[in-house]
Parts: sequence; C-alpha cells; structure tokens
Amino acid sequence: MRNDLELDAIIEDYLLGKLNAQETEAFEQLRRNDATVDHKVVSHKFFLESMGTFAEQLRLKEQLNHIHSEIDVEGLADTLRPHPSKIVQLWRKNKSVVAVAASFIVLSLVSIYSIQHNSKQEANYEKMSRELSRVKQSQNNLVLDIKASTQHNSPKKANPGNFGGTGFAVSTNGYILTNLHVVNGADSLYVQNSKGESFKVKSVYTDPQNDIAILKISDKHFNGLSTIPYTIKKSISNIGENVYTLGYPKDDIVLGEGSVSSRSGFIGDTTQYQVSILVNPGNSGGPLLDNNGNLVGIISGKQDQTEGAAFAIKSKYILEAMRAIPQDSLGVNRLGTNKKSLLSGLKRTKQIEKLEDYVFMIKVY
Amino acid sequence: MNNSLKSSVPTDREVILGILNNSEDALNKLYKAYYAMVLQFILNNNGDEDDAKDVYQEGIIILYNKIKAGNFELSSKLKTYIYSVCRRIWLKKLSLNSKKAGNITDYEDVFAVEEDVEHHEEKDAAFVKMQSALDHLGEPCKTIIQDFYIHNLSMQDICEKFGYTNTDNAKTQKYKCLQRLKKIFFQP
Repeated sequence: MRNDLELDAIIEDYLLGKLNAQETEAFEQLRRNDATVDHKVVSHKFFLESMGTFAEQLRLKEQLNHIHSEIDVEGLADTLRPHPSKIVQLWRKNKSVVAVAASFIVLSLVSIYSIQHNSKQEANYEKMSRELSRVKQSQNNLVLDIKASTQHNSPKKANPGNFGGTGFAVSTNGYILTNLHVVNGADSLYVQNSKGESFKVKSVYTDPQNDIAILKISDKHFNGLSTIPYTIKKSISNIGENVYTLGYPKDDIVLGEGSVSSRSGFIGDTTQYQVSILVNPGNSGGPLLDNNGNLVGIISGKQDQTEGAAFAIKSKYILEAMRAIPQDSLGVNRLGTNKKSLLSGLKRTKQIEKLEDYVFMIKVY
Repeated sequence: MNNSLKSSVPTDREVILGILNNSEDALNKLYKAYYAMVLQFILNNNGDEDDAKDVYQEGIIILYNKIKAGNFELSSKLKTYIYSVCRRIWLKKLSLNSKKAGNITDYEDVFAVEEDVEHHEEKDAAFVKMQSALDHLGEPCKTIIQDFYIHNLSMQDICEKFGYTNTDNAKTQKYKCLQRLKKIFFQP
C-alpha cells in the first residue's frame, strides 16, 4: 500500500517533469523493466489529461456563467418572447411573406378590376322551364282547335303549351308536385303522362319561398295511379351519391344521371343541392332520385355559364309542402317516408320503367 | 435585439485571436454579442430562458474548443456558426424530450454542424464522467483533488487549508484520494 502510493507520487512527478535527470533515468529504467509500472504510467497520463480537460471546461463554464450573470436576461426575454398576440407573432414570423402576399393581392385586384371592365361576367340562376316559340304555339293552337272539335270524349292528346316543365305524382289520387316557377302565372294547366294522355290540373298549393307548387288532377278521365314506387328521403344526401332525374326537356321523357356535388345550391343556398346532372329547359320540377329510388329533391334550375351545375330543392321541403295540404284529401296512398321504396334493388332500366307513369310533363297555357 | 448589445458586436477575427490568446474580454464580448439571437430562437421554439442559457453555453464551448484546437476555419460568419450549432443542440434536446419540434421558426441561415455537435457530445460525456466520479469521491477527497488539479493550489496551501500536520501527510492523503478517484473513473 505504502509502496503503491510512493509509486503514484513518482509517476506523477515524472509526468509533470518534476524529477531531476538522474531520477528520470532511473525511473525510465524501471518502466522498461516492469510492464505493470509502465501501464500505470500510461493510465495515469490519460487520467491527468482527462482531468486537465475537465478543469479547463469547468473553468470555461464558470467564466461563461459569470458573463451570463451580467446580462439582463429578463429584459431581453421580454422583448424576444413570442408575443401573446397571435397577430403580432404572425407578423414577426412572416413579414416577408405578408409583403409578397399583399403585393400579389393588389396586383390581382387590379387585374380583376380591369377584366371586369372589359367583359361583364355574371353567374345567373336559370329556371329550367321551357318556353316555346310563339310561332309554334300559334300553330299548335290551330291543331288544338281541330282536335278539340273532333275528339271530345277521348283523353286530350299532346299539345305543347307556352311553358313546359316536369312534375311527379305525390299521391295516387292525382296530386302532382312541381316547381312554382313552372306553373306561375298560368291561365290553365295540363299534365301529360308518358303515354301521351293529357289531364287538366289546378294548382292547390304554392310555396314561393321554396319554389314548390302542388297541382291536383281534376280531369274526369283520370283513373288514379297504382302505388307510388318511390319514397321521400328524410336525411340529407351525401356528396358523391349517385342520383338521377327524369324530365321532359323535349316531348319525350329524358333521363339525366349524375351525383350530388354539393350540399348547398346557388350562392350557398342551403335549401338546395348542387348536382352534376346536365339539365335543360323543361327539366324543372323533375324528381331527383337516388339508386334506391328515394326522392332526394326536385330539379329546379342551373347556373348559367357553368357546365354541370344544376340545383335541386332538398326533399325535406317536399315533406313540408305536403303537410300544407289537407291530409284527408291526399288519400291513403300518398308519398311517404316510412315505406320501403319499391324501386330499391332494381336495375336502373327497371326503375325507370316503373317511374315513367309517375312523371308528368307540365304544360302551361 | 438590444441596441447596446448589438453595438458591441466584435469582429470575427477579434474573437478568434482573443480566444487563442486566452483573452477574457474577447470571450465576454463574444458571449454578449450573440446571446439575444439564441435566446430569441429558443423562446420561440418551445424553450425558456434556462434552456437558452444551457444551449447557448454549450454552443459557445463548442466554438471555443474548436478555435482552441486550431482547426476552426472561418468559412462562414461566427454568428451563423453559433446559430447553427445552437439550433442543432436544441433540436436534439427537443426530440429527446419528445417535445414537438414540428415547426421550427428560424431567424438566421443554417448550415450543417452535426460533426461538431457530435464531437462535443463525446467530450461532454467524458466531462460528465469525471464530474460524477468526483461526486462519488466524497469529502474531503473531492475538495483536495479539486484544489490541487483544478484550482492549482500547492500542497503547502492544501496542507494549511485542511490542517494537516505536514505536507507529507497531505500528500499521502491526496494520493489515496487519487487512487480511489482513478478506480471510480476507470470503472467500466
């Protein structure tokens, strides 16, 4: 033990260069002869170096701490801390970005302004009722006169009116729902089914706010319909749901297919859906159905200068309109929400086959 | 940034020469010159003043050691170097504490300093090892060793400070302590 300590002392003195020449010579001799001593010297050298670095770093840290204590950290921190106000913080962070954005906005405003003054572009809502040319009308009136005089007892045959639209049955005893703008200002109203038979109808309810009208067939030739195959969908439809409509943009029934593309209609109108169906004048008032034959809405119009953006009144407003009619007069077999749609699970062609009888062309005189 | 601090920013050359010549004044100026920059960075990236102090001092030590080792080439501004190093250290700390480091708000240019930071970490590990070895030593050994090796006191001073009857006894005690310390330090 004693020897060990002495050896350590000698090693340290040797490493620190405190031994005189003679002692150094003797010690180096000892190192060469004794591997253990040699190893001790090496490890002590390493240790001293470690200690040296340690001491140096420690001194440096103390020095830095001393300098640090001279700095007014609190004051600095207050000016540099993220500002409590998010806006100031954003501004500090994004000064340059904001500047670029601002100049961009100014530039685009200027260009928009100049474009607007060159060409006026406005989106308008087009009601899809069909207006036929006066010439045709007057000619048909002649036909009507002739026919009216010859065929008095058979159901009236097709004769286009001033306006046209589409409607669909909401009860088996002849209540038909369509858009108000189709029938508005009508002198007399007729509906024509897919077989070409016309019936006189009268308007029994109008809802100007939701653009809904309910007509009642008041023709003695009308024999009533069989059970309504579709039901009203109570819930809101999802975007992307496949939907289709049947309508009379021409004198024969036409299918239009697409999907619900937005839950709001023209300029954010929440009473309507936007659907990607190509509609034409005459489609107004047509039923909008989903794959299972649930009534999703009523086609009511489209945005001009925008392709593929048609609008449909949501089915919920159909229900509201139907509640406004005396429930007794609608009869037992009316359009409802609870029944299962007879169309569900059928192929599209079969569905349309069944539907055809319930979709009417509205003719306005 | 504080004006009084900014006005006293030393030139990079001044700092390097100063540190090479062990000038306390140069270190002082260097420290005060860029502290605000790092403080701002840390405060705006989920840190507080204490974090800023730790990170900044580590950064300064890295720079200091690099200059001392003589392999510091002034390829960029000192400011950028310090900022990059501190940024690197802080990001590492954040990820160690699994704090969110998603959106780092930067105030300066940054360049790669991974090597320097890693090299420093190795050195720091040795430092921590020595520190804990000393802590394990207990008194009075710890103080004796510190006085002799760190504060460079002579054996005579230590003998008087601790009240040993003669320097030989103090020396024997010192070597005993040293033996224990080495045993702890070289423990795997």
